[in-house]
Amino acid sequence: MSSSNNPSSRKEKSSGERPSKAGNNFRQTFQEISIKHASRRRITNKIVSIIAIVFVIGAIIPLASILFEVIKNGVAVLSVQFLTQPPGAIGSDAGGIGPAIQGTLITVGLASLIGAPIGVLSGVYLSEFATTSSVKGPKQRAISFFANTIRLFNDVLTGLPSIVIGIVGYVAIVLALNSFSVWAGAFALSIIMIPIVSRVSEETLKLVPNSLREAGYSLGISKTKITLFIVLKNAKDGVLTGVILAISRIAGETAPLIMTILGTSLFFTSLTGPVDALPLRIWRLASQPYESAHGFGWGAALVLILIILALSASIRLIARGKGIRVRTETI
Amino acid sequence: MPRLLDLGLDRIRNIVTDMAKLSEGSVFSALEAYESNNIAKKHIFELSEKLRTLQDEVTDLAVELIARYQPVATDLRFIKSCMEIAYGYSRFGRYSYDIVDVLETLTPLTDCDKNAVSEMAMTVRKMILLSVNALESRDKMAAQDLYQMDDTVDTLYRKYLRELVSNLTKDSSGKPRCYISNLLILRYLERIADHACYVGDSVYYIITGASSPRR
Amino acid sequence: MRLSSSSNEEVTRYSPQTSDNDKRVVVAPATTQTKIKLSIQNVNAWFGKKHAVKGVSLEVKENSVTAFIGPSGCGKTTLLRCINRMHEMTPNAKAEGRVILDGVDVYDKSSDPAMVKRRIGMVFQKPNPFPTMSIHDNVAAGLKLNGIRDKKLINEVVEQSLKGAALWDEVRNDLHMPGMGLSGGQQQRLCLARALAMQPEILLMDEPTSALDPIASSKIEDLVQQLKEHLTIIIVTHNMQQAARVSEQTAFMYLGELIEYNPTRDIFKNPQKELTEKYISGRFG
Repeated sequence: MSSSNNPSSRKEKSSGERPSKAGNNFRQTFQEISIKHASRRRITNKIVSIIAIVFVIGAIIPLASILFEVIKNGVAVLSVQFLTQPPGAIGSDAGGIGPAIQGTLITVGLASLIGAPIGVLSGVYLSEFATTSSVKGPKQRAISFFANTIRLFNDVLTGLPSIVIGIVGYVAIVLALNSFSVWAGAFALSIIMIPIVSRVSEETLKLVPNSLREAGYSLGISKTKITLFIVLKNAKDGVLTGVILAISRIAGETAPLIMTILGTSLFFTSLTGPVDALPLRIWRLASQPYESAHGFGWGAALVLILIILALSASIRLIARGKGIRVRTETI
Repeated sequence: MPRLLDLGLDRIRNIVTDMAKLSEGSVFSALEAYESNNIAKKHIFELSEKLRTLQDEVTDLAVELIARYQPVATDLRFIKSCMEIAYGYSRFGRYSYDIVDVLETLTPLTDCDKNAVSEMAMTVRKMILLSVNALESRDKMAAQDLYQMDDTVDTLYRKYLRELVSNLTKDSSGKPRCYISNLLILRYLERIADHACYVGDSVYYIITGASSPRR
Repeated sequence: MRLSSSSNEEVTRYSPQTSDNDKRVVVAPATTQTKIKLSIQNVNAWFGKKHAVKGVSLEVKENSVTAFIGPSGCGKTTLLRCINRMHEMTPNAKAEGRVILDGVDVYDKSSDPAMVKRRIGMVFQKPNPFPTMSIHDNVAAGLKLNGIRDKKLINEVVEQSLKGAALWDEVRNDLHMPGMGLSGGQQQRLCLARALAMQPEILLMDEPTSALDPIASSKIEDLVQQLKEHLTIIIVTHNMQQAARVSEQTAFMYLGELIEYNPTRDIFKNPQKELTEKYISGRFG
C-alpha cells in the first residue's frame, strides 16, 4: 500500500550499485601500483636533490675562489694612501688608485643619470602604453610594430660587444669634441645600461597584476598617475634591481672606456677631459711586469667589488626604508 | 542528470499520491458505510490516522528540502502546494472519520431518509476524483470545474438546511437522530467539497504561479 | 540586521507595529520613487571577434539593487563593465550602444571616461587594495590622485567611507598599517570604502563575494542593503541565492542576451521564461 518508501529504497539501491566490481578491482591494482611508485619516487627525489646540491656547489666554487683570491691578494695593499693618492712612478710601490675610484664613481654616476631614466621610461612605455587598447586599427598595429622593433633593438643591443659601443662613443663624441671625455664614457656606458634596465623594467611592470590598474581606472585616476603612483610604485623593487644590475655591469666595463675616457693618472678636471676608471686601472696595473703593480691591481679589483656591493646594499636599504616595510607576497 | 532535489520531490510526489488514494478510499468507505449501514469505524480510523502521519511526513520533508536545496520557481511552488494538498487530504480522512463517528453515535439510521446526503455525496465523490486527477495530470482547469461543483454543493447544503429546519418545526415528533445525522454529514461533505477546491487551487498555483482566479 | 534595516519590499512590506496603532500603515519603501537612474539601450560588446553582449536594454531605478545572473561566460560581467566604460580598457574590446546616466549618454563624445568612472564606482571580484599603500592611503588614493589636497577633508572622507563600508571600528587604530594585512573580507570592504570615497552615484559590484567565506559574504550583503539608501547598486553574482537575497530586480543573461528582466520576487517565484526557470532551479544543460 505505502509506495511512499520507494524513493528512499530506490536511492539506496542505486547508490549501492555504483562502485562496480570492475571499479573495485581497479582501485586495488591502482593502490598496489602507487605503493610501488611511492618508494621509487622517494629514491628519485633523493638523487635529484643530491645532484642539484652538487651543481650549486659547482657554481659557487669558481665564484668563491675568485672572491677569496681577490681578498687574499687585495687586502694587503688597502690603506688610506692607496685609496686617495694618484699612482706613483711606474714600478714603485708608492701612490694609489684615487683618480680611478673618483673616475669610476663620476662616469658610472653620470651614465646612470642618463641611462636609468631612459631605460625605466622605455620599459614603462613598452609595458603600459604600447599595448593600449583605446586606439584601434592601423594606428594600434603601428604602435605594436614600433614596440616590437624597440624590443628587438634592446635584445641586439644587449648582445652587442661592448668594444663596439666604445667605438660608437669614440666616433660620436670623442672625435666630435676632439678630446677623450667623461661625457663620451658616460654615453657609452649608458648605451650598455639602457637595454638592460628597459627589459627588466618592462618585465617587472608586466608582473604587476592588472587588477591594480583596473582599481585605479575605476577611481577615475588618469593613466599617467596610475602608471607612476600605482604600477611603478608597486614594481619599484624589481625596477631597482634592474638598475643595480645594469650599474654593476657597467661599473666593470673596460673596453668602451679605453675608447672614450682613455684613462689617466690624474684626478678629475672637467667633464670634457679624460679621466681614470677602476677597470682601466686594473687592466693597466695587470699589464705591468712589476710585482707591486700586481698587488695594486688586486687591491683595485677588491675596491671595485666593494663599491658595487655597497651600491646594491644601500639602494635596497633606501628603497625599503621609504616604502612600506611589509613586502607582501600576495599581490 | 537528476538533481538531488529531484529525489526529494519524487518522494513528496509519491507520498501525496498515496495520500490521494487513501483519502479517496476513506471518504468513499465512509459514504458507503452510511448508505449500507455497515459501520467500518476501525478501518476508517486507521486510514485517518495514516493520512495524518503522512501529512506530517510531507511537511517535514518539504521543510528539509527548502532548508537543504533552497528550491525556487516551480520546485518551490510544488513543495508549497504539496504541503497544502497534504493538509487537504488529511482533512478528507478526518471528515470521513467524523462521518462514521456520527453514524456510530446515532445508530441505527436504517429508517432515515438518505436521499439528501446521497445526492450531495454524488457530487462530492466526483469532486474528490477530479481533484486527485488534477494533481496527477497537472490540470490547471480543474480548479474552475471544482468551484462550479462546489457551488452546487453549497446550494444543496443551504437547501437541505432550510428543509430540515422546516421539517423539524412541522414534525417535532419526528426522528431527531435522522435530522441531526443528516445535518452533520451534510456539513462534513460540504467541508470536504471546500477542501477539494483548495486542492484544485494548489494545482493551479503550481502550474501558473498565481492564486486561483476564484479566490 | 538585514530584515529590519532594509527596505527590501518583499520582506519588510509590513513593518512590525510597536506602540502606536494609528500608524498602522503599509510601509512605503524607498523604492517607491521610480526615477530611472540608468538606462542601458541596445548595448553590444565584443572581445575581438567574440560577441559577448548582444543588444541588451534595461532600466535601473534609483536607490535600488539590481542583480545580473547567468552561467559563466553569459556576458553579465562584460555588460557591467560597459556601464562605467571599463570594458574598453581591455585590449581588443569594443562596446556599442547607449548607457544613459541621468539623461546623459556616458558614451557620448562629450563625456570623459574618467569622470564616468568617478560617478559610477566599482568593486571587483577579487579584493584588490593597492599593496604599497596603508589602509588610510588606499581609501584616500582616489581623492589624492584626483587632485584633492585638503588633509582635513581627506581624513573626514576616509573615516566616513570606512564607516560606510562597516570597517571603521575594526581598523580605526591601524589606519597606517598596510591594506594587504587585512583579512580577505576586510580587504573587500576596504575596496568598497575606496570606491565610496569617490562619492559615486552608482556602485557596480562584480561578484564581490566570490572570494570570501560565508560570514564575510553576508556582511557585504548587509552592506548592500544599507548602501542603497544613498546609491544605486548593480551586482553581478554567480550565487543565485545571493541575487535572491539582496536585489529588487534581477536580470538573467544567457549567451550574451538578456533573457528576462523582472522583479526578483517574480524571477524566483514565477519566472516567465523557461530558460530562466531551468537556470535558477539548477536544471541547466
